[in-house]
Amino acid sequence: MSQLEDAATNGEVVDLRPPPKPDEITRFYWEAAAEGRLVLQRCDACSRFQYPPELVCTYCQHEGFEPTEVSGQATLYSFALVERAFHAGFVNQVPYVLAMIELAEQPGLRMLTNILDADPEELAIGMELELCFDAIGEQQLPQFRPAKVLR
Amino acid sequence: MSALSRELAIVGVGYSELSRAGSPEPKAISLVAAKEALADAGLSGTDVDGIFEYRFGPESPGAQDMARLIGAPDLAAFGDLMPTNPSGLGAALAGAMAVASGVCETVLVFRCMTREGGYQGGVSGFSDPVLGGQQFETPYGDSGGILMTMALHKQRWMYEYGRTEEDFGHIAVNARRWSALNPRAVLRDPVTMEDYLSSRSIVAPLRLLDCDYPINGAVATVITTAERAKDLRQRPVLIDSMTYATGSRVDWNFTDDFLYGGTRDCADRLWSRSSVTASDVDVAQLYDGFTQVTVSWIEAMGFCGLGEFGDWVEGGDKIGPGGALPVNTGGGQLAEGRLHAISLLNEAVVQLRGQAEARQVPDAQVGLVACGLYPQCGAMVLKGG
Ligand SMILES: [Zn+2]
Repeated sequence: MSQLEDAATNGEVVDLRPPPKPDEITRFYWEAAAEGRLVLQRCDACSRFQYPPELVCTYCQHEGFEPTEVSGQATLYSFALVERAFHAGFVNQVPYVLAMIELAEQPGLRMLTNILDADPEELAIGMELELCFDAIGEQQLPQFRPAKVLR
Repeated sequence: MSALSRELAIVGVGYSELSRAGSPEPKAISLVAAKEALADAGLSGTDVDGIFEYRFGPESPGAQDMARLIGAPDLAAFGDLMPTNPSGLGAALAGAMAVASGVCETVLVFRCMTREGGYQGGVSGFSDPVLGGQQFETPYGDSGGILMTMALHKQRWMYEYGRTEEDFGHIAVNARRWSALNPRAVLRDPVTMEDYLSSRSIVAPLRLLDCDYPINGAVATVITTAERAKDLRQRPVLIDSMTYATGSRVDWNFTDDFLYGGTRDCADRLWSRSSVTASDVDVAQLYDGFTQVTVSWIEAMGFCGLGEFGDWVEGGDKIGPGGALPVNTGGGQLAEGRLHAISLLNEAVVQLRGQAEARQVPDAQVGLVACGLYPQCGAMVLKGG
């Protein structure tokens, strides 16, 4: 019996979302997330942040980074309301909001995220968001929610 | 003279039947399209020395399968192009480069899609940990191919330009105005703006009528030198310029330009190498896997300013039958059916030959074909011979 059928039988909600599998390039990011911190690559040469992690700085191709914690302050760049699962791992998640957010540290520094603790009707591009975390398997997934204290 | 190292001509176009129902054998319909394209050109399989096809997976036979089916004696170049290419036009771009370089003399390019064997785009089902770039997408439920990115794109577009969904609705309505004139099209009933605005949500704000229409079908095209084309059956259609583009900081979600991706780079390079300008275009075939992709291309190509499509399109008349810039004259992926846009190339060729019958754009001399979006852009300017 599948995990999903198991869950249906027992009436419990099982998290079937596929977790990230850290690799040499991304391990620092997920290790920091596990400690409740959002840490991005910051280029030693041009000082820009980048997301997602990559082997080199995608602005200047320099190969050295300082892993740097960011504030978690962000604004909503765009969002979509997913009411039907397009992945079996999300049948227990719908409806959910998939969003693109822009971090306060740098123009154009965008991340994909869900927007937690929010009524989709109240979402508006430009609204202020704050960082939170969401357990996925044994890992912590950086997420965002409407800012409780407006800046 | 074009900017290419040898002058190229498109000399043959072919189609299988396009259908929504049933589950035709991909090899069989690909062969129908290939034979029709070769016959259209006045050529046979023994003339072909290059084959390129675009695919996502097992929905299509490969280039070598096709060589065996048409009896190509040997291939000087071939390729099975995987899905990072500029959609179906990728096969034609690769084939054109093979001929322009002198590696090949006559190439066959094709795309086959079936609903059963084909890539459905929408559904995947594994909870296994995700690798690479997917670590930053899939755990958030960014799945279903590019559907979610398209929803985010549509939302951001409306916000940045202060526009409404009607802008995209003009593309959906336009597709059916043209497909009504195309006997091959799978969807031929008209739709209204009201139909568009009330069509069901796929991933809000993306609607059903924003999305192309999955079908069974195969399309093939034959490309050779302009010199060789003089002796062939059809009035040749010449490739004036062509290019790919990715845009900077190449990615679907985290690219520099989230609204236009590589389309503006593609357009700038295309026009810089062309003997004509955007104002010379008589007929435009612009990718419509999603309505907003066509809007992006219209603006990127310079037919109007960025964000100005909705005012420019004159309530849709500008791009419809009799309009100043006829767009997607066969009904495109939205209405003729989803073929990953190699069909847009064939439609341009048919228009420039003057063979488009009820949907013929009068005296069409210059055609534009553009395909893909974000890092998967490609385009061609074509001229009647
Ligand atoms: Zn740098």
